Amino acid sequence: MSRLLADLFTPQLLGATVRLAAPVSLGALASVVCERSGVTNIAMEGVMLVGAFCAAWAAWLTGSPWLGLLGGAAGGVLFSLLFAWAAVSLHMNHVVAGAIMNILSFGITRYLMVVVYGHQGTSPSIAHSLQDYRLAIPFLSRVPFIGPALFDQTPIVYLSLLAAVLWAWIYARTRLGLSMIASGEHPMALETLGRSVLRVRYTAILLAGVLCGAAGAFLSIENADSFTEGMTGGRGFIALAANIAGGWRPVGALLASLFFGFVDAFQLRAQSLGIIRLPSEVFLVFPYVATILAVAGFVRKSRPPAAVGKDFTVEGNGE
Amino acid sequence: MPSGVPILETREINKTFGRVIANKSISVRLFQGEIVAILGENGAGKTTLMNMLFGLYRPDSGQILIDGVLVQLDSPRAAIARGLGMVHQHFMLVPTLTVTQNVILGEEPVRWGHVQYGKARRSVADLSRRYGLAVDPDARLENLSVGLQQRVEILKALYRRARILILDEPTAVLTPAEVEELFAVLKRLAESGTSIIIITHKLEEVKRLSGRVYVLRRGELAGERRTEVTGAAELANLMVGRDVVLEVRRPASRPSAQPILRAENLRARSLRGVAALRDVSLSVGHGEIVGVAGVEGNGQRELCEVVSGLAQPDSGSILFKGNDVTRWSVRRRLDAGMGYVPQDRRGEGLILPFTVAENLALGRSDVPPLSRGGLLDPAAMRARGKGLMEAYDIRAEGPDALASTLSGGNQQKVVLAREFSRSPAFLLISQPTRGLDVGAIEFIYRRILGLREEGAAILLVSMELDELFALSDRIAVLQRGEVVFESAASATNDAEVGAHMIGGRAERSAS
Amino acid sequence: MKLSPAPRILVIAAIALGAPAALLCLASYFWGLWFLLLSLVLIVIERRLSLGAQAFTAAVRRALARAAIPVGGIASALLFGALIMALTGYDPIVSYKALFYGGLVRNWNVSVLNATPLIFTGLAVAFAFQGGLFNIGAEGQYYIGVMAATWLGLRLDLPPLVAIPVIYAAGAAMGAALNGIPALLKVRTGAHEVITTMMCAYAVRTLAPMFIRANGGDPAVTTHPGATDQVSQQVWLPLFKDFLPAANYRLHIGIIIAIACAFLVRFILMKTSLGYKIRAVGHNKVAARTAGISVGKITVASLLISGMLAALSGVTQDLGLDHRMFQDLNAGYGWNGISIALLARNNPLLIIFTALLWGVLDAGGQFMARTAQTPNAIIEIVKGTVLFLLLAEVIYEKIGGWLGRLLLRRFTRGRTGADA
Repeated sequence: MSRLLADLFTPQLLGATVRLAAPVSLGALASVVCERSGVTNIAMEGVMLVGAFCAAWAAWLTGSPWLGLLGGAAGGVLFSLLFAWAAVSLHMNHVVAGAIMNILSFGITRYLMVVVYGHQGTSPSIAHSLQDYRLAIPFLSRVPFIGPALFDQTPIVYLSLLAAVLWAWIYARTRLGLSMIASGEHPMALETLGRSVLRVRYTAILLAGVLCGAAGAFLSIENADSFTEGMTGGRGFIALAANIAGGWRPVGALLASLFFGFVDAFQLRAQSLGIIRLPSEVFLVFPYVATILAVAGFVRKSRPPAAVGKDFTVEGNGE
Repeated sequence: MPSGVPILETREINKTFGRVIANKSISVRLFQGEIVAILGENGAGKTTLMNMLFGLYRPDSGQILIDGVLVQLDSPRAAIARGLGMVHQHFMLVPTLTVTQNVILGEEPVRWGHVQYGKARRSVADLSRRYGLAVDPDARLENLSVGLQQRVEILKALYRRARILILDEPTAVLTPAEVEELFAVLKRLAESGTSIIIITHKLEEVKRLSGRVYVLRRGELAGERRTEVTGAAELANLMVGRDVVLEVRRPASRPSAQPILRAENLRARSLRGVAALRDVSLSVGHGEIVGVAGVEGNGQRELCEVVSGLAQPDSGSILFKGNDVTRWSVRRRLDAGMGYVPQDRRGEGLILPFTVAENLALGRSDVPPLSRGGLLDPAAMRARGKGLMEAYDIRAEGPDALASTLSGGNQQKVVLAREFSRSPAFLLISQPTRGLDVGAIEFIYRRILGLREEGAAILLVSMELDELFALSDRIAVLQRGEVVFESAASATNDAEVGAHMIGGRAERSAS
Repeated sequence: MKLSPAPRILVIAAIALGAPAALLCLASYFWGLWFLLLSLVLIVIERRLSLGAQAFTAAVRRALARAAIPVGGIASALLFGALIMALTGYDPIVSYKALFYGGLVRNWNVSVLNATPLIFTGLAVAFAFQGGLFNIGAEGQYYIGVMAATWLGLRLDLPPLVAIPVIYAAGAAMGAALNGIPALLKVRTGAHEVITTMMCAYAVRTLAPMFIRANGGDPAVTTHPGATDQVSQQVWLPLFKDFLPAANYRLHIGIIIAIACAFLVRFILMKTSLGYKIRAVGHNKVAARTAGISVGKITVASLLISGMLAALSGVTQDLGLDHRMFQDLNAGYGWNGISIALLARNNPLLIIFTALLWGVLDAGGQFMARTAQTPNAIIEIVKGTVLFLLLAEVIYEKIGGWLGRLLLRRFTRGRTGADA
C-alpha cells in the first residue's frame, strides 16, 4: 500500500499540479480582478481561446515564443475591449455579454484558422515552444519535494504564481487596488470621491484580458506547440469556480486552482499507473464535479463583492 | 444677515426630472463660518439641491458661485476641488475597507507606486484629534456604529480640506448621545472657519445649530429666517403649510378585548447580522390602527419582514387570531387573512413589466376564479382588473396597461387594491404615501380608515408623524429595535413622539 | 363594425390556407410559399377591415418600427461580415450569393433540419430566462436526451406509436433529472446556475464516450468506433416523404414537433398559473415572494422544464436524423440555443423564426464553403455580431438620438424656409 502511495504521490505529481493549474490560476485571477471591481465575467473561456490562437500565430509568424506570449496577451486585451465596451459602456447584462464573447471567440478563432493557415483543426507546430525555456532556479529548486514543483518550471507557470502574489500586493498596497475594491463594493462612493468607476472597470477588464491571454498562451505555446480549436476545454469556467472557491482573493484563487490542478494531475497519474480499473472518463470528470462542489459552498462560504454584476450608471446628468 | 461675499451662493437654480419639478428658482447664500439650515419635509427637494452643489446633478438653469466666482460643478471631483465636502445621508463608505482607507480613497498619498498607509493613518489620527472626531483608523467600517461611521464621512471631507461642509439629514440614524457629540463637533468646526449647511426635517436641529434657515416646500423656497428670532411654530408652518388642508375625520375606535395580532418578544437580526429587533412586543386589536413611528433604520424593515413572513425571527412569536403563525409561509399568512403592503411599491409591491390586471392577480393566480386546474383565465383576470380599477379609482389606460406606466399614486392604489380586496382581518402597511401627491394621500387615508371600519386590525409603519396622527388609534415608537414608547394617539403629541423617535429617553443607557 | 362576419371568414381562410402551406414550405415545396403569402395577405386585409384606416396605419407603423432594429441589426451584421471577407481576401458578393441560395433555395431542407434541434434548445434557454435563470448548460441536457433515446432505441421493442412517445417522455425525464442538480443547489445553497449547469454539461460530455463504448462503439469490438449502433427502425421519426412524396428524403417531422413545442411553451407561459408565476419570479423575485409565491419551487420548476426541453432536442435529433450517438459531437446546440433565445427576446414563437434563420445561415454557410471556398466560420462571426448588435440596446438610443437630431435639423430648416 505504501509503495502504491509512493508511486502515486511523487514530486512529479506536485510539479504537474502546479503546471496544470497555471492556466486555471491565471483565469481565476482574471475572474477575481473583474468580479472584485464589480463586473461579472464569464468570458474567460473565450478570451483564453483567442489568446491561445494569437499566441500560436505570433509565435509562428515571428519564430519567437516570447513574442508569441506577447501576442497572446495582446489578443486577450483587444478581445476583452469588446467585452468592456458592452458590459460597462453599453450597460449590457454582464452574463449575456460574456456569453456573446464566448460565442464570438469560437467563430473568430475558427475563421482566422482558415484565413491564416488555410485549414481548420490544428495550427502548424511552432519550432520553439516556451517549454524550451524551462528554468530551474539554482538554490530553491533543490528543496526536497516542493523545490522542483515550484522552482523548476516553464515561464508562464512562474507567471501564474507571481501574478497571484502581485495582485495580492496590488490590493493591499496600491491606489488601483483600493479603487477596484471600492468599485466592486460601493461604486457610488468611489464616484462621489471623484474617481471614475467606468475607468476602473475598464482597467480591470483589460488587465484580466492580459491574464487570460497569457493563460491561452500557456495552452498553445507552452504546454503544446500549436493551437487546436476548442483547446481551452472548459478551463475558463473552472477558473470562475476557482475564484469563488478562493473567496474572491488572489491567493485563495491560486490555492483553489492548485487544487483543481492536483485533481487533474492525480487523474493522469492514477491512470498511467493503471491502479484503478475505472475508465479514464471517470477521472476526467473530477474537475467538473469538484467545481460544482466548490460553487455550492462545500469548500468555503464566502461573500461576493456587494456590487458585482450590477450595472452602474451615474444618473441625473443632462439625460 | 451677515455681509460680504458669500462663500457659497446659488442663484435661481432649477431642476426638473421628467414630470417632477424638484427645484424651482432656489437662491440661497452661505457666509463663512456660519451654519445654515435647509429645512423641509421629505420630498421637498433638499437632496436634489445638495446633489447639484456636489456635482452629482447639473442644474437645468441657474448659477452657482463660490467666493463670488461663477463655477461649473460637473462632477464630485470639481466640487471637492473647490472646497466642498458632503456628508451623505446614506453613507458613501465602503464597508469592507478600514477607516483610513475610506478617508483617503480617491486622494491616497502615494510613493513609488504604493500607498503610504503609515502616513495616511497618521493624517487620519491627526485630523480626528484636531476636530474631536475620535475613531480607530484601523477599524473595518462595517464593524463601527453608525455614529462612528458618520465621523468617518466627516473626516473624509476634512481630509480634503473642505471649507464648506454639507450634511444631509445627519442625525437621522444617531442615538441621542451621538447627536450631542455631532452638534459639538459642528459648532467647533464652524468656529474654526468651516462653513456648514445642514439639511434636515427636524426643527430641533435647526434651532440648536443654525444661525439662519431656509425653508423648502415642494421644491420652492418658502422662506428665509434668522433662527434666533423665529418660533418653531412659524418654521413648522412654512415647512408644512398645505393649500389643501387634509381633513381626515376619524370616528372613535371601538376597543375590543381580543387582539387580532400579537407579536411577542420578537428578536431578529438585520442582513448584516446586527441586532435589529430587541424584544419587541405589540398587539393590534379588532378595528384598531396601531401606528409604529420611527426613523428608518431602527428595525422597521425587520419588523415588517417578520410579521409578513418574509423572514424568521431569532426568537419570539407572532399570534394571529390566537394561532401561532411564526413559522407560517408568506402564502399561508396571506390566505389566512394577513395582508401586507410593502414600503417599496416599485421594488417589492409590484411587478412593473406586468399589466395592472396581472399585478392585481399576484398571490391568487392559482385559485378560482382566476385559474382552474392550473389553467389561467385571462378574461377573468382582466374583468377583475377592470372591476378593481373602478373601485379603487386607478387611473390607467386599462387593465392591460403596464404597471410601469402608472403614476406613483396609481401604482400604490394597485397594491392597496390587491391587498384590500382580500378583506384581510389584519393588514401590515408600511410607508403608504411616500412620494405621493395630496389627492392620492387623501384617497389612501380614506381607504385605510374604511378598512378599519370593517373591523380589520391594522399595523401602520410610517416615518411621517402627520400620517401617524391622522390614522392611528395608538402609537408606538420603535427606536433601536425596541418599543420605547406607546400611547393612545389622543394622549400624546408630535413633540413627544418625535422626541422618542430620536431617542429622547436619555436616562436609558446606550446599548 | 360594418362587416362583422367577413373578417372572421378571412381569418379562418387564412389559417386554413396558411397551416398546410407552412407545412409544404417546410418540406421545401416552394409553391407552398405562394399559399403562405396569400394567407398573409388575407390576414392583412382582415386587420385593415376590423381596425379601420387610422388604427391600421398606426399598427403598421408600430410593426415596422419594431422590426427596424432586428432587420437593421441583421443587415448590419451581414455588412460587417462582408467587410471582413473583403479584408481577408474573399469575395463577399459571391459568398453571400452562395449563402442565400444554398440556405434558402437549394438546401432549404438542411436549413429546416438544422433549425429543429435549435428550436428546442432555444425554447429551453428562453424558458429559463423567463424565470430569471441562465441555463447555459443546455448542451449537456441535449446529450442526455440523445443518450436516453439511443439507449431505449436500441432496446425497446414496441410499435412506433408507443415507443416514440415513451422515448420522448424518458428523454424529458432525464433532462429534468440532469438539471435537477443545479436546481436544488441553487435553491439550497444559492450556487449560481451559470456554473453548475455548465459543469454538468461538461461532465456529461466527458462521460459520453463511456456510454458510446457500452452501446456499440467500442473500438476493440466494432468496425465503426466512435458511434453507437443504430437504433431500431421502429423508433425512427416518420419522414415528410411518407406523405409528401417530393420532399427531401432526410426531412423528418421533428420540425413539426418542435413548432408544436413552441406553441406549448407559449401556452404554459401565458395561459397557466405556473407560467404566470415563473414570469413573475423572472421579472421581480422580491415582489413575487412578497406576494406569497414560493420562489424556490418556481426556480426548480423553471430549471426542470428547461432541462426537459433541451433533452427533447437530443431525442428529436437522434430519432429523426442521426439514429445513433456520435462521439465527436460538438454541435454547439447549447450556445446556439442561447443566441436564439436572446435574439427572440425569449418569445417562444419568435424562436421558431430565429432558429430557422440560424438554420439557413448554417446550411448556406456549408454550401458557401463548398462552392465559393469561403470558410464557413465567417457565419459564426456574423452570428455573434447579430447578437451583439441586437442586444446592445443602448446603441440604438444613441443612434436614434443622433438620427433624430439630424432629421430635426433638416426638418426645421425646411420649415423656416417655407415660413419666411
